[in-house]
Amino acid sequence: MQQGMQHFIAVRVLQSLLAALVMSVIVFGLARVSGNPLDVMLPIEATAEDYERLSKHWGLDKPVLTQYFLFLGNALQGDFGQSLKYQGTSAMELVGQRLPATLELAGLALLISVILALPIGVIAAVGKDSGWDVAAKVIALLGQSLPGFWLGIVLMWIFAVMLGWLPTSGRGGIEHMILPAITIGWFQVAAIMRLVRSSMLDVLDSEYVKLARVKGIPEWKVIWKHCLRNASIAPLTFFAIVAGSLLTGSVVTETVFSWPGIGLLVIDAIQARDFPVVQAVVIVFAGIFILCNLLVDILYAYLDPRIRYQ
Amino acid sequence: MADITTRDLLSETSPRHATGWRALRRYPLFPLAILVFFLVIPAVFAPLVAPFDPYAGSLSARLIPPFWQDGGTSEHLLGTDKLGRDMLSRVIYGARVSITVSLIAIFVGGIIGTVLGLISGYFGGRTDSVVMRLVDISLSLPTILLALVLSAALGPSFMTVLIVISVLLWARYARLVRGETLAIKELDFIARARVAGASHVRIMLVYILPNLVNSLVVLATLQVGYVILLESTLSFLGAGLPRAEPAWGLMVADGRELIVTAWWVSMFPGIAIMLTVLSLNLLGDWLRDHFDPKLKNI
Amino acid sequence: MKPKLGSLFAGLLAMVAAVLLSAVPETGWAQTSVKRLVFVSAGFDESNRIWDVSKPDHVQFDPFLETLLEVDPATGEYGPRLATAWEHSPDFKDWTFTLRRGVQFHGGYGEFTARDVVYSHSLMVRDDSIATLGDLWRQVSSVEAPDEYTVIFHFENPVVLDTAEYAFARSGDLKMVSQAQFDKEGEGAFDHPAGTGSYEFVERNSGLNIVYKAVENHWSGVTPAFEELEIRIAKEPATRLAMLLSGEAHIGDLPRELHADAIERGLKRLSSTMSVDWVSVYFGGMYFITGDPAFDPKVPWTDVRVRQALNMAVNRQELLDVVFAGRGEMAYISNWTSASEGWDPAWKDLHEELYAYNPERAKELLKEAGYGPGDIKMQIWAYTSPGESEHPAIADAMGLYFNAIGVETNVELLDWAKVRGTYRDKAIGCCMWPNVISWRPALEGLRNWYWSGSNSHHYEDDFLDAVYEEWNNELDTDKRNELSRSAARHLIENFAEVPLFWFRNEVFANGDVIDSWVYPGLGAGRTTQFDLIKPAS
Repeated sequence: MQQGMQHFIAVRVLQSLLAALVMSVIVFGLARVSGNPLDVMLPIEATAEDYERLSKHWGLDKPVLTQYFLFLGNALQGDFGQSLKYQGTSAMELVGQRLPATLELAGLALLISVILALPIGVIAAVGKDSGWDVAAKVIALLGQSLPGFWLGIVLMWIFAVMLGWLPTSGRGGIEHMILPAITIGWFQVAAIMRLVRSSMLDVLDSEYVKLARVKGIPEWKVIWKHCLRNASIAPLTFFAIVAGSLLTGSVVTETVFSWPGIGLLVIDAIQARDFPVVQAVVIVFAGIFILCNLLVDILYAYLDPRIRYQ
Repeated sequence: MADITTRDLLSETSPRHATGWRALRRYPLFPLAILVFFLVIPAVFAPLVAPFDPYAGSLSARLIPPFWQDGGTSEHLLGTDKLGRDMLSRVIYGARVSITVSLIAIFVGGIIGTVLGLISGYFGGRTDSVVMRLVDISLSLPTILLALVLSAALGPSFMTVLIVISVLLWARYARLVRGETLAIKELDFIARARVAGASHVRIMLVYILPNLVNSLVVLATLQVGYVILLESTLSFLGAGLPRAEPAWGLMVADGRELIVTAWWVSMFPGIAIMLTVLSLNLLGDWLRDHFDPKLKNI
Repeated sequence: MKPKLGSLFAGLLAMVAAVLLSAVPETGWAQTSVKRLVFVSAGFDESNRIWDVSKPDHVQFDPFLETLLEVDPATGEYGPRLATAWEHSPDFKDWTFTLRRGVQFHGGYGEFTARDVVYSHSLMVRDDSIATLGDLWRQVSSVEAPDEYTVIFHFENPVVLDTAEYAFARSGDLKMVSQAQFDKEGEGAFDHPAGTGSYEFVERNSGLNIVYKAVENHWSGVTPAFEELEIRIAKEPATRLAMLLSGEAHIGDLPRELHADAIERGLKRLSSTMSVDWVSVYFGGMYFITGDPAFDPKVPWTDVRVRQALNMAVNRQELLDVVFAGRGEMAYISNWTSASEGWDPAWKDLHEELYAYNPERAKELLKEAGYGPGDIKMQIWAYTSPGESEHPAIADAMGLYFNAIGVETNVELLDWAKVRGTYRDKAIGCCMWPNVISWRPALEGLRNWYWSGSNSHHYEDDFLDAVYEEWNNELDTDKRNELSRSAARHLIENFAEVPLFWFRNEVFANGDVIDSWVYPGLGAGRTTQFDLIKPAS
C-alpha cells in the first residue's frame, strides 16, 4: 500500500476511535442521569438499608467521575462489567449471546431488500419516467413511509393469524425470520433501488453501452451483463451504510416479534437502567457503524485517489 | 451538441404511455395533491376543519368503530380512541403537530448544519477537520438508542424529540453545504468579491448561501418525511412527545395493543403518516431529479 | 421493450415467491394432542438465582422449586408442602418445621433435608439479594437443623402466624434448592438448578423462553397433564394475543383492556380464586408527620376537602365497566380485603357514603377549599411494566374525570424508575400516580406504604406511625384486629388516596387444549401450580 493510503487509513482509524470514545462518554453520562437502577431493580418493599447495601455492592455510591474511569479502564480490556439485570452474566457475554440473532435477521433483511431493490431499480432506470418508473418508485418509497412497528404488527396479523402461514414471533428457522426481516428490510429497498437506478442510468448512457448496442448485442444482455456489473460498484459501498440503519431497525422489530436479539436487549436494559449492558450495546452498535463508515471511506479512497489528500 | 441519449430513445419507444406520464413528469401533481389535502389544509385550518376538540373525551364514548362498521355512528366518522376522543379530529390536529415538529427540528438542524458547513468549507484547514470529525461522530451515533437514553433522563418531551432529531439532521446539512461551498469558493466571482474587500461573512451569506438554497430545499423536503417517521418510532418506544398531544406517531403507538380489536385507533394515523411521507418522498425525488441531480446519492 | 421488461419482472417475482414459500412449514400450528404446553408471559426479570428477583418474577421458579408451606388453590389457606407440621415458641421468635420425608431433588441430588433449608435461607440473605422478603429473612439470627427432618428458624423479633405462614408458603419467596448440588457444582449450580417440584428445569434461552419437563412419580402423587411446559416471553400484548389465536401458545396473560376481545374471539378465561391485585391512585405530598420538612401546604390536595372532591369526581362503576369489562371488585381502601386482618364489612357503607360519584358536590367542595375552576393544576404520572399495563388507561381516565370538575391535568407517560425515584425522595407533591400492587398481610402493607420509616410515603402521619408501632409488637389476635381496623378506617376517612378496584389474576387459554385451572393467585408470581392445569378431554 502506498504511503498516502497508509496515512489516510491511520488518520481515519484514530478518528473512529475518538468517535467511539465520545459515544461512551455521552451514553455513560446520559445513562447515569436517567436515574437510579436500584429504583428499577429493587422490589417496592425495599428499605433504605437495602438501597445502601446494594448501592455499595454495585459501586453505585462512588462519584460519577470515578465510576466513569473505572468503566473506561475495564472497557479497554473488554470488560463492560456485570449486568445488573441478568445477574451472574457479564454485559459482553449477554451481547455476545444476542448479537448473532440480530445479525441473522439483518442478513436476511439485507438479502430481501437487495432481491427486491435490484430488479426494481433496473426496471425503473430502463423504463425511466414511464409508468414502470413511477410504480417502482412508489413500491420502494412505501417502505420508507410506513412506521416499522405498525408494518410489523400488520404483517404478523395478516400472515400469522389470519392466514396462519408463518409463526407470530420468537426465534427459530427461516419461517420465524421472514416477517421481521421484511419489516426491517423494506425500508432499505428505496435507498438501494434509488442507487441502482441512478447508477444504471449513468451507465446506460455511456459510450461503452452505445458501442455494445451498435455491435448488435441483444438488449437484455446489454442491461444485465454490461450495465449492472458496472453499476454495482456504487451500491456496494452503500451497503456498509445500510448496515447501520439495519441495526436501528432491529430495535423496533425485535420488540414486536419478540426476537431475542441485541435490539430487544438494549430496550430492556434501558428500561431496567442496566448501565453496563446499555453501555456495552451502544459501544457495539457504534463500533459497527464506525467500522462500516471506515470501510466505506477506505473503499472510496481506494477508488478515487483524490479523496485521500483532502 | 444535440445529444440524443439512450434514455430519450427508450421513452420514445413507448408511445402509449408518453402523453399521460409526460404531463406527470412536468409537475408532481399527485403527490402535491395528497400533501395539500392531508398535510397542509389540516395543519393550517385544523380548528375550522376538525369536528371535535382533540383533547376532549369521555369514557362512555370509548372505542366506537368507524361509521361504516357495526356500532359506528356518523357523529364520529373515523371512530373514537381509548378515551372516547374523536379520531378524525385527532388525525387532523395531528397534521399540525407533525408539521410543527418536523419543521422546527429541520430548521434547527438545518441552521446548525448550514452554518457549520459554510464555515468548514469556506475556511478549510483545522476548522474543516474539526467540523468534519464532529459530523462523522454525529453520523455514527445510533439515534434511536440516544433518544431512548435521553428520554429516560429528561422524560418524554418536545425538547427531547427536538434535540434528538436535530442531532441526527445537522450532520447531513453540514456535509452537503461544506461540499458545495468547497466547489463554489473556487469560482471567479468569489475571488473578485474578496479583491473588492468584501468580508468573509458577507461573502458566505450573500454570495455562497444563495447558491445553496436549491440543494437545501431538496434535502429538507426529503427529510420531512423521515422526521415524521422518526417521531412516530420514538413515540412507540416511549421516547417521543408527551402523551396528551394528538401526534400521529403517538396515536399509532397508543393503539398498538388494540391493533387487532380496535384497529382504527392505529390504522388511520398510520395511513396518514404513510400518505404524507410517501408524497413528501415523491415530491422530494422529483425536486431532486429536476433541480439538483448532484444529490442523487444522499 | 415493454414485453421484455414485463416478463423480466414477472420472472423475478416468481423467484422471490418460490424462495419465500419454500420456507413455509407444511403442518399447521394447531395440534390435536399437545406435548408441550406453552404459556406466554409479558415478561419478568429472568434469572436462575432465587435471591435475585422479586416475588412477581417467581412465576419462573414455581414449576420446579417448592416452598415449605402451600397455598390452597381453592381457598387460599396455608397448608403443608415440604413441611408437614410447624409451630412457634410462645414468644413467636422461634419457628420449628417438621420436614416431609422421601422428597427427592431432580438430577439425582438426593433427598431433601434440613440442611437444604439452611442453605436456601442463606441465599436469601446474600449481600446482593433483592428478595422481596429479604428484610424478614435478615431478621433470622440463625437457622438450626437439630436433625435431618427438623428445622428451627430463630428470629430476632417476634413473627406472628399470619406473617410467618405467608412468608414460608408458596406466597413467599423462600424456595428450596439443593445444598448437594452447590457442593458438587459451585456457582455452576445456578445454571441448571435442581428443585423438588413436579416439573424439572430443562433449559433457559435468555430473552425467549424457559423449558421444563414433567417429573414422573412426584412425591405429591400429582403428575402434570402436559409432558413439557414452556414459559415464553413476549413483551407486546398484540403479539401475545396473536400467539394465542394462532395456537402457538396455549395460555397467556393479556392486558385487562384486551380481555373482552379475547373472550369474543373464543379464548377461555382462567381466573384466580382469590383477589390478587388492587389498583389505587396515590397523592403526592401526603407527608403529615409533625415537623416534616417535606410537607408543602401549597399542594392543593393536602386539604382533605380537595381529596374528597377528587374522589367524588371519579365514576368508579363506569371506569370498571368500560375499561375493565366489569371484572373487579370495588376497593374501599388499598391493602385490605376480606382475607386481611381486621377486615370490617361495614367499610362498604362508609365507602358508599363518602366516596360516591357526585361531581357537583365535588365542585362545591373545591370551592369551599378555596379553589375555583382551573385553579388546581395536577400532573398524573403513568408508566407501564410487564403484566401491569393498566396505568396509562387509569391515568387518562383520571384526567378526564378531574377535568370535568375544573381541575387541570397533564397526563405523562414516564417509566417506573422515574416515578419511584421521585416518590422515594418525597418530591412528588406535583402529582398523582396509579399503581397496581399485590396482596400481602395487612401489617406488611401498612409498613410498606403508610409508615414513615419505609420508602413509599403514600400517606403518613403521627396516628399511623403510632398504630404501626403498637401493631408490630402486639401478639394478641383481637387487639391486632382492632389496630388494623383503626388504621384502615383512618385512611378511609381521611381520603388518603383514590382507591379503585381489586382484581383477580386472569389468564386466557385455548379452550380446545385446556379445560380449567384452579389456582389461588396469591402464590408468588400470580400464576402458580402449573401441575394443576386440566387438559380438555
